[in-house]
Amino acid sequence: MRELVVIFFGMALVNNFVLVRFLGLCPFFGVSTKLTNALSMGVAVLLVMLVASAVTWPIYHLLLVPYQVEFMETVIFILVIAVLVQIIEITIRRTNLTLYRAFGIYLPLITTNCAVLGLAFINIRHEYTFFESIFASLGAGIGFTLVLIIMSGLRERLEITDLPHAFTGTPIAFIIAMFLGLAFLAFAGMIG
Amino acid sequence: MSSQPIITILFLTLVGFVAGVAILVVSKVLPKEDPSFEEAARIKDLLPGGECGSCGYPGCFAYAQAVAKDKQLPARAPCRPLIQDKEGLRQFEAHLGLSIDTAQLARRALVHCSGNSPNLATYNGINSCRAAVQLASGFRECPYACLGLADCVRICPVNAITIDFEQRVARVDWEKCIGCGLCAPACPQNLIDLVPKAMPQYLGCNYQAAKEIPGRKRCAVGCIHCRICVKVSPDGEVGWNEKKDLPSFDPQRSLFAAAAIAKCPRKIILKTAAAKQSE
Repeated sequence: MRELVVIFFGMALVNNFVLVRFLGLCPFFGVSTKLTNALSMGVAVLLVMLVASAVTWPIYHLLLVPYQVEFMETVIFILVIAVLVQIIEITIRRTNLTLYRAFGIYLPLITTNCAVLGLAFINIRHEYTFFESIFASLGAGIGFTLVLIIMSGLRERLEITDLPHAFTGTPIAFIIAMFLGLAFLAFAGMIG
Repeated sequence: MSSQPIITILFLTLVGFVAGVAILVVSKVLPKEDPSFEEAARIKDLLPGGECGSCGYPGCFAYAQAVAKDKQLPARAPCRPLIQDKEGLRQFEAHLGLSIDTAQLARRALVHCSGNSPNLATYNGINSCRAAVQLASGFRECPYACLGLADCVRICPVNAITIDFEQRVARVDWEKCIGCGLCAPACPQNLIDLVPKAMPQYLGCNYQAAKEIPGRKRCAVGCIHCRICVKVSPDGEVGWNEKKDLPSFDPQRSLFAAAAIAKCPRKIILKTAAAKQSE
């Protein structure tokens, strides 16, 4: 149990996907201009991460390892994640249209999100068990959502701030990302 | 070792095949989506897609869904940007099999201020009218004046509003305006009004506190509430709004008040783009 909690917080804060591992940077800058957008992107990533690690772990350990074709993990994982996102999208579209509209463009966008693929690899590299990898994906998804929400809150505040013209928009976002990264580095060495 | 390439090829083929079958099964097993969804998607393609929300629905798709359920809805809650687009409107009407009376529905925004109200103090706060108005109803002499900090400019989806920095007032370009009405609630001074496109004139002032401090002391072009515009308009082109103590123009009739425009001592009954047709 203690192991699982350590993995969860290690993934969410200490080794945060965006600010420490530098994965999923495109949505971090692209979708963090509004709080509502950031929230739907974060929840969509969390959902896909959960499903992806629940599927890629058995594929690696039950298929790739016994047949000694571990080198194919990249191509297989990309394929599997793309198919998963497709299936999730169809399911949501057919069952709950309101939710489908809320996710909108963000669900298909995740197909090519490096954070999801990165998580699948990290689960393998750290030699997590199935349950550990589920907790790792929960932590990673929540950490990603957290950072996106913090960033979008800051950027919404910046909208009404009087900035030097050259800094408005993306430049100030980069500067803020730097400070956020520094803040998250303070977690380093706490656990994991 | 020699069998590995074959296993690799087999593996990828197998995973690809299973994935394909999985998608097929999922799409067959799940119930078909709501048929009105596809209809709504088709209707949405016919809408301008500005997501302005002037129809009263949260976004174009929500409006399309409502229209798909109730085909008579556009007559009651029209998509105002669509009305501007003749060809788009024709396709929309043909698709739904109805006709929309555009003359009744086309609207334009206008600003009830002529600007020029002197500043009481220099304002260095947050660059927004809504913030500035928190400080003793703005920084102009006239408490009703346009503050010129461009809240309306920022919200306009078609960039129809500009700030005239010489006169220090917001101006609406009627060629670009689509009458969506987003700017009206954005103005903390309530200076922006929506009128029928055929309205030939409007009052470029919103000075209401006639009995406390006369407008003439606050602004060189403020209404002095003399009512001469009403007196020279025997056919009722100009009415009087007793609550605001300002002249009013009947939006239903949109009459051209040529005499009032000429007689106004402050010259603040301003002609709109529609006035040229009336002259």
